[in-house]
Amino acid sequence: MIVCVAVVGHQSFTEADDALKLHHIVHCSLDVVDERVNNPKKSGPTLNETFLGLLYPTENYKVYGYLTNTKVKFILVTTDLDVRDVDVRNFFRRFHAAYVDAVSNPFHVPGKKITSRTFAERVSNIVKSFGLSST
Amino acid sequence: MEPDVSIETSCMIRIAVLPVGTVPASVLRDYFSMFLRHHTIPLAAISSFYTEHQKSPFAHQPWDAGSIRFKFLLGGAPPSPWEDFQSNRKILAVIGICHCPSTPDLDSAVEQFTAACKNYSSALVQRCFAFCPCDSQLEDGGKKEDVLRLFPPADHQTLDIHLQTMMQEIAASLLMDFEKWVLKAESAGTILKTPLDSQASLSSEEVLKAKKRRLGRAQKTIGDYCLLAGSPVDASAHYSTALELARLTGDFFWYAGALEGSVCALLMDRVGHVDVVLEDEVKYQYNNVILHYRKSFIQDNAQRVSPLSFELEATLKLARFLCSGTDDTAFKSSYLCRSKLSKDVVELLTNAADGGKSLIDVNDRLVLFVEIARLFGTLGYQRKAAFFSRQVAQLYLQQDNKFAATSAMQVLAMTTKAYRVQSKASVSDPPCTKKQTGPSHTDSGKMHHHLIVSLFESQWSTLQMVVLREILLSAVRAGDPLTAWSAAARLLRQYYPLITPAGQNGLASALNNSAERLPSGTRSADPALPFVRLHSFPLHPSQMDIIKRSPAREDWWAGSAPSGPFIYTPFSKGEPNDNSKQELVWIVGEPVQVLVELANPCAFDLRVDSMYLTVHSGSFDAFPISVDLPPNSSKVITLSGIPTSVGPITIPGCTVHCFGVITEHHFRDVDNLLLGAAQGLVLSDPFRSCGSAKLRNLSVPSISVVPPLPLLVSHVVGGDGAIILYEGEIRDIWISLANAGTVPVEQAHISLSGKNQDSIISIPYETLKSVLPLKPGAEVILPLTLKAWQLGPMDFEIGGGRAATSGSTGRQFKNASVPTLLIHYAGPSTDSEDATIAKVSNLPPGRRLVLPLHVCVLPGMSLVKARLLSMEIPAHIGDGHPKPVHEEEDPASETVEESDRKMEKRLVKIDPYRGSWGLRFLELELSNPTDVVFEIGVSVQLDGTDDNNLPIDQDGNSEYGYPKTRIDRDYSARVLIPLEHFKLPVLDDSFFMREFCNEGSTSSSRSPSFSEKNTKAELNASIKSLISRIKVRWQSGRNSSGELNIKDAVHTALQTSVMDVLLPDPLTFGFRLTRDNSSPQQESGSKDSVLANDMAPMEVLVRNNTKEMIKMSLGISCRDVAGENCIEGGKSTVLWAGVLNGITMEVPPLQESKHSFSLYFLVPGEYTLVAAAVIEDANDVLRARAKTDSPDEPIYCRGPPFHVRVLGTA
Repeated sequence: MIVCVAVVGHQSFTEADDALKLHHIVHCSLDVVDERVNNPKKSGPTLNETFLGLLYPTENYKVYGYLTNTKVKFILVTTDLDVRDVDVRNFFRRFHAAYVDAVSNPFHVPGKKITSRTFAERVSNIVKSFGLSST
Repeated sequence: MEPDVSIETSCMIRIAVLPVGTVPASVLRDYFSMFLRHHTIPLAAISSFYTEHQKSPFAHQPWDAGSIRFKFLLGGAPPSPWEDFQSNRKILAVIGICHCPSTPDLDSAVEQFTAACKNYSSALVQRCFAFCPCDSQLEDGGKKEDVLRLFPPADHQTLDIHLQTMMQEIAASLLMDFEKWVLKAESAGTILKTPLDSQASLSSEEVLKAKKRRLGRAQKTIGDYCLLAGSPVDASAHYSTALELARLTGDFFWYAGALEGSVCALLMDRVGHVDVVLEDEVKYQYNNVILHYRKSFIQDNAQRVSPLSFELEATLKLARFLCSGTDDTAFKSSYLCRSKLSKDVVELLTNAADGGKSLIDVNDRLVLFVEIARLFGTLGYQRKAAFFSRQVAQLYLQQDNKFAATSAMQVLAMTTKAYRVQSKASVSDPPCTKKQTGPSHTDSGKMHHHLIVSLFESQWSTLQMVVLREILLSAVRAGDPLTAWSAAARLLRQYYPLITPAGQNGLASALNNSAERLPSGTRSADPALPFVRLHSFPLHPSQMDIIKRSPAREDWWAGSAPSGPFIYTPFSKGEPNDNSKQELVWIVGEPVQVLVELANPCAFDLRVDSMYLTVHSGSFDAFPISVDLPPNSSKVITLSGIPTSVGPITIPGCTVHCFGVITEHHFRDVDNLLLGAAQGLVLSDPFRSCGSAKLRNLSVPSISVVPPLPLLVSHVVGGDGAIILYEGEIRDIWISLANAGTVPVEQAHISLSGKNQDSIISIPYETLKSVLPLKPGAEVILPLTLKAWQLGPMDFEIGGGRAATSGSTGRQFKNASVPTLLIHYAGPSTDSEDATIAKVSNLPPGRRLVLPLHVCVLPGMSLVKARLLSMEIPAHIGDGHPKPVHEEEDPASETVEESDRKMEKRLVKIDPYRGSWGLRFLELELSNPTDVVFEIGVSVQLDGTDDNNLPIDQDGNSEYGYPKTRIDRDYSARVLIPLEHFKLPVLDDSFFMREFCNEGSTSSSRSPSFSEKNTKAELNASIKSLISRIKVRWQSGRNSSGELNIKDAVHTALQTSVMDVLLPDPLTFGFRLTRDNSSPQQESGSKDSVLANDMAPMEVLVRNNTKEMIKMSLGISCRDVAGENCIEGGKSTVLWAGVLNGITMEVPPLQESKHSFSLYFLVPGEYTLVAAAVIEDANDVLRARAKTDSPDEPIYCRGPPFHVRVLGTA
């Protein structure tokens, strides 16, 4: 089950149960993201790769990362231990689309927390469907 | 578990360093740091102390390249149960530190040291170092050579050399002891046990296996000693034997231990030559080590003892090796390698962290987390490091003692950077400060975006608050009030929107409680509340404006004054006063003000004990003030100070004493905060949440301080309050100017500006000039004459409105409408010293004193209405009329009447024989709405040139005063002004000349409108000149007097009939009795009456007022009281002799003609005689006067009625 999805960058959107712990996990995952951002792969096919893959496994969670071209980071924390990369990629792609739609709202202030209800619903739908497809 | 483990730990000799006697902590630390420098002793250096007693077991000792390593443990450590397993855990030497000045008795020190050494049974070498002995101690200590080593007092460097020698000696002794020990162990064989296998192995082991195992363990231990002795090759040999034996006997634990040792030996051997192959080898071996430690886990005694800590230590060792190893070589910086390595390290550390959960000992877990955090930090994973540091802090906080709390606090302080909540004290030189102090301040927020984001990562507020709260908690527990204060301040300042009012109050009391424990005057780097932002730099109070002087222009003030109604004029561009926006000039010794806005967005009352501007250069004396801020409020306050030295000055912020601690609040921080709030990156804008309006982005001017300038201070003599004047009042005021500066005023110039400039009648230019230079402290009094202006209708409204609201006298004071006196002045143009090099730049600026004259004009006497009245009093016909006719035409001196008023005798007269037919008065209706009494005096000024035939009756003054009229408050009154004075003596074409010229020619050529206009203008001019000669002056009380402005009203009143007023009729008529002087009736009766039934000889006088001969046909009529014609008709009661009708007369210009006739009245009574004439062949002038246009129309002149009283004869 996905327990946490976070958008980190200029924005932050968190959907979580045990907020503080997940805050920590997401916060820590940025170390890995930073490292990948600062040491970009020079090789061709991975040049425009947005999916960062498994960032690190912690205790009961697996943390996946995704980095958009504008350096907005999506972090996915899941308790599923056997996750297929394809699923995660798919999830991130749909999530990215939802995010783009949300920030395209002219009333959204870049840098501010996303407060769209539609976005929240859409994200929870994506999250639910991720749970379905993976099981 | 032990802190700071690495693969190399296995080859380090542990030395306990113990303080002996009393050693002050700082001194101890100092000595200990000296020891730390000697952690590695090259084998080559100790050869002089080394004597080979027997054949050394360390056959491959690298005497030239190898070294012995020490690990100093200050205060020692309790013996480990795992000493047998890893010999490096043994404390192999004890060193005492004795600080002689604080430990005078060396004997007791030696005793104490010997006692302390008993705790270290494993110690092979014991030395006590005594530093800084005095002479007697030197003598005394010489006897205890064996234990006590005295260090002669010397400087640090010498001491260091001494210590080095001592350490080399110790290294040599240890080496020799190791040799002994190894030789003994090889020969005798020792029983080596660990807590792990003490019980299990006793009963169920086969003897052979046990022996082999014992042998293996011995080999491993020998290997350990070889490592400690700095001989890796020997160690390797022993380890490989041990490995073989341990593998055979299934002694996994010792196998792993031996493997660790061999890896260490490998690294020691290859010191400084780490490459990928070696790294892979180490990694492989260590993974093996970890595996075997895990294998050695025995379920039976898992409760009591577990090899887990060794497994974790091994993990950490490998991780540390990978971390540090990667940095050594350049080729590893490539991404692939680094990413792979860091991935490995992360995995190792994650495993270690997971494994740490099953650690039994809390201290072990603590050490583990500390190490994990450190390694993550080394790897560059700051956030993870911070996460584990926080775990460490939590473990510390679980221990309920002060030291643990202090540790927790310190560990948390390290995490603050990763969470971006660090105290400013820890940020020594933030790079952002430099970027922002520059001129870029005025730029838009774009540039600082990333800075703001990094400064205020609001998305992590949950984490940040948790960390700060934990710091606060640990600091309170640790009894560190300053840290507690700082944490609470940061929490409150940055997260107040997320904290409940109760929580805010709690933080406030935490701040106060901490402050109570702090000495007064403590400073903290982290500001608490309030938020302080720069509001504005008030420009100089208008009295102190500074104007740049240009040496090229004498009149440097010109153009600098705000002239005209335009705020911006293209002509003033580039003038000095434009620059005042970006540049602010302060003057040494003159107080300045800066407005700042404070906000308290929290739910408690905030008291700022004192706050003042911060200026680091020290060239500024700031005046502190104290402020109270109610909850959720903001306030703009004025901070002031005095610059004390010349040069540029910057004000980065202000210093605030609040919650018992002194903090510095930087304006820039709040600006960034507000910028962040505007972009939605920061939680909230404290000023807006307090209801303060949004402030435009204030550009901070560059402030420069200039040397003292003269300073003129003005005040109005008799009080600086508003000068209250009634409309039209004229008053002299005196303005005192004093030089309050320290430099004389050498130039000064007065000019006027603002509205109603013309109300200042006289300006004392010369008075001011004459007193220059005005020395410091000198004063000059300038007299000014003011005449209050007329209030416009708008002024009235405002005045009325004010009166309604204030309910008072209705005095109105409007700054906008007062005239302003501008006095430009300057000190000496150059200093006397560098007069020769008078440069443009160092010409001190001039100043401008703006002195608004606070004149308050009250509505005074007001003119309600002005109208023209004509009064007709018929004349009596008599014979005693003494005046020549031409004088009759100038009745000015006598025809004054003021109805219902007393008059002066000389002015009352109306000549009864002339009457005053067509007498015109200007009636002014005046009202007095004020609460004082006004006295009105009318004076008429007569132009001497115009009225040359006027009798100048008095003292040659051609001005006539009339008696004063008193108008009480709230009353109105009328004043009559006779206009006869203005009548021209002669009706000629001079008045009409232009008119006629135009008229004559316009009929053909010019447009009539033009001529009309011209006529009108002419008319207006004459009205104006007429009006200007009438002055209505008033006086009220003792010292207010003025003049009523009646021009407009009179103008309208006179508009239509000015011609009648000014111009005489072409003909004037008069009657008189012609009788003999001897007549008895005349003497007995009234001389101006005629008797009935008697012949009354009369003559009619006709005067031609024009300059041309007039031909006319004159007629005389007589009427009785009822108005019936008594001469003609059937019932005529008057008989006549002579011609009464159709008398043809020719009157020469400016002459008069008579026509005699007689009347015989039959009935006594009042009769009226009227003369009338029809002018024949009238010229244009006459026609114009009669206002007839058609040339055919006869011009009819009618004289005034004359009364005849006819007395009865009885």
